[in-house]
Amino acid sequence: MLDPMDTLAILLPAVPLFSALAIALLSARPGRQLARLSVILSVATFALAAGVLGGYLATSSPIWLTTDLGWGSIYLDPLSSIMSLLVAGISLVVHVYSVRYMAEEPGYARFFALLDLMTAAILLMVAAGDFITLLIAWHLIGVLLYFLLGHNQQRPAAQRYAFWTFFTYRLGDLPLVLAAVLLYQTYDTVALPELFERIAAMPNAPGILGFSLLEVVALLIALAAFARSAQFPFHTWLPYTMEGPTPVSALMHAGIVNAGGFLLNRFAPVFVEAGSVLHLVFAVGLITAVLGSVLMLTQNDIKKSLGYSTMGQMGFMFVECGVGAFSLAIYHLIAHGLFKGTMFLGAGGIIGEARKHDGVPHQDVYTLVVERKPAAARMPWMLAAGITVIVPFVILGLSHWLVDGDFVGQQGAIVLLFFGWVTGAQLLFATHRLRVDSPSRLMALIILSLTIVVVGYTLIEHNFDLFLYPDRVMSERLYAAASIPMAVFGGLVTLVTLAVVVGWIAAYYAMANRDPLDGRADGPRMMLYSLFSREFYVADLYTRLTEWVLAVSKRFNIWSRWV
Amino acid sequence: MALLLIACLLLPLFPLSMPFNALLNWLKRPGIRFAVVLIAPQLGVLALDYVAQPIPDWLPVWALASAAFYAIRLLSVRDLGMWAGFLATSALALVWIFAAEGAAPLDLHLFAFGLSLPPALLMLLAGTLVRRFGAAYAGLHGGLGRCLPRWSRILIWVVLAAIATPVFPGFFIVLGLVFDARWPSAAAILFVWLIWSWAGTRLLQGFVFDICQQVEVRDLRPAAVAVYSGALALFLIAGLIVTGGVL
Repeated sequence: MLDPMDTLAILLPAVPLFSALAIALLSARPGRQLARLSVILSVATFALAAGVLGGYLATSSPIWLTTDLGWGSIYLDPLSSIMSLLVAGISLVVHVYSVRYMAEEPGYARFFALLDLMTAAILLMVAAGDFITLLIAWHLIGVLLYFLLGHNQQRPAAQRYAFWTFFTYRLGDLPLVLAAVLLYQTYDTVALPELFERIAAMPNAPGILGFSLLEVVALLIALAAFARSAQFPFHTWLPYTMEGPTPVSALMHAGIVNAGGFLLNRFAPVFVEAGSVLHLVFAVGLITAVLGSVLMLTQNDIKKSLGYSTMGQMGFMFVECGVGAFSLAIYHLIAHGLFKGTMFLGAGGIIGEARKHDGVPHQDVYTLVVERKPAAARMPWMLAAGITVIVPFVILGLSHWLVDGDFVGQQGAIVLLFFGWVTGAQLLFATHRLRVDSPSRLMALIILSLTIVVVGYTLIEHNFDLFLYPDRVMSERLYAAASIPMAVFGGLVTLVTLAVVVGWIAAYYAMANRDPLDGRADGPRMMLYSLFSREFYVADLYTRLTEWVLAVSKRFNIWSRWV
Repeated sequence: MALLLIACLLLPLFPLSMPFNALLNWLKRPGIRFAVVLIAPQLGVLALDYVAQPIPDWLPVWALASAAFYAIRLLSVRDLGMWAGFLATSALALVWIFAAEGAAPLDLHLFAFGLSLPPALLMLLAGTLVRRFGAAYAGLHGGLGRCLPRWSRILIWVVLAAIATPVFPGFFIVLGLVFDARWPSAAAILFVWLIWSWAGTRLLQGFVFDICQQVEVRDLRPAAVAVYSGALALFLIAGLIVTGGVL
């Protein structure tokens, strides 16, 4: 006899699967009816996910259901419970949105069946209790995404980019399989809870080619996560997936692309033993965050810009993991999922609005003469510079000191605070650049908002960390694994601070001395522009590589006479 | 010598696989092609059991190289029948690796069957297309997803089974093989698997997607769809029962 919580755990991936099967069997019925059925079952899935999370909060004990096959097990701990709720929630919103948005598209019922299958596969992935189930779900997500992105069968571009996504995902599947092989051959189990216990008991297993086994495994898992979450250089597919239907973009950017962060958290017990891989994760995340942000700023298409924004956010999520703040990455992932989903679903409205108003601010003369409004003003720059540098520092420092007095003892926390300070200062600097009627009032409101956001974020994140990693030793070991020698750390922080401050000053002078009507650019700037507009030629490189492999294939066939 | 003969005729490895593929090209009836792809490997496994010789260390390496070679060649093949023949050659080469690991004869038979049924079904689907268009070339009659929706749906499912997508038996077969292999062999098998996926999507793009050019073409009959669907469903369920417990 199954416990009610166990029943909920089984029903969670089963309900969307049932919905997909029902749609396939009833495909002769009108599409609207099938869509309604799909939405109703999505509501049920969301309720089940909420029930599972509520059950965990009430009992504080994870659910682990196994089968005789050795796979197909379900493991619902804090991580999978919260992820299930997020996935079910975003899936429900996307379902509701798609009912009208996709109504005129051919293959309406097929779309909902695929959406349900995708929901089932993601829920299975987050709740997988063994490596085989995880591999099945991980692989299926790539296949289903291929068909969802290529839903419009008559658009060659949609097919091309669906293929890019599929191939990158398949490329990322392979290291995960290899990691599973190495772990199984060493620890003789595929059940994840058992595996983690055995890793903790025997962390120094015999390695490969002189490398520690867990470092190799962590590297393979990180590679799988890089491909899934569009980390450099596996990022080229992400901005181009906009060729697919908008609800799929929303589901992908809000849910599927976050799978890399989930994977790193799921295998946190492996990363505890692989500090060097965490440093690599940090470096790759940082490069991705910078490139994603730069490319986002150079796009003139809102959906592609959102695509690169996701890439930047994913990079930042990996930076968080790289400094040992694993729970923060999940918090970030949830927050990003919710706001990015909203932005995608609202993109159409913004495009419509932009067609009516260009959104370009008027110059002072126009405001004064035509609109007859008083000329806008700015705060004195010395005062603004002081506020910009000091206020975020004080707010961030005080809020973290309130929740954890010892936060300065962890390098990861310092790195994240540094990022927070730069972001806060950037926000205030941007505020200073705005010309408004009352600069001091605007600055006061922005500082108030920043304080509320930072204090709220810090408090929630602290409690979220306690929820995800109730074992405080594990959380501290993750920070410790990600640490580097103190002298190197201090040097790096100084160097980056100098680079940021010099960058700010240079940007300020460049803006102040620029003639707004002079649009000419010199040689290096043009080169930089062409680099950005060609997206650093990474996709071109892959295209060349693909053409070369296809040419080799043809040559082989000609040599062997096509037999 | 006996092993070489088996490698030539029944579980083909390059370059001895060339006669096998030439024979498949020469045979015009899809039913006979279907039977050859399905029966030859079973006879090969029977012969291996009968010969009962230990498999030398160099043979699995040869098999892996042959599997990779045919996988790469798949990428530029546009004829559906030829594609199915090359995929079968690439996949059946893996039987040698499984045999070298000392697999039981029954497991070997199931292994070979699991890898040869999807290419055999592709031979039948190719025959259906040849009857309608005179040829079954990817890209020649694109957009069949609209013109022949039933045929396309079956093609998608069979290709997914052929490229070892979960939860078809091919997935568990490849996974089982990889889990028992040393890491360099495992990496090579995964490479072959990746190329199958690439070739499979190229094939689907050539047949199913794009704008429909043909206006009046007869699709598969509902009875034929039921037979194909039933066969695939049985294959999937049997695979879950027999090969589901990979480890």
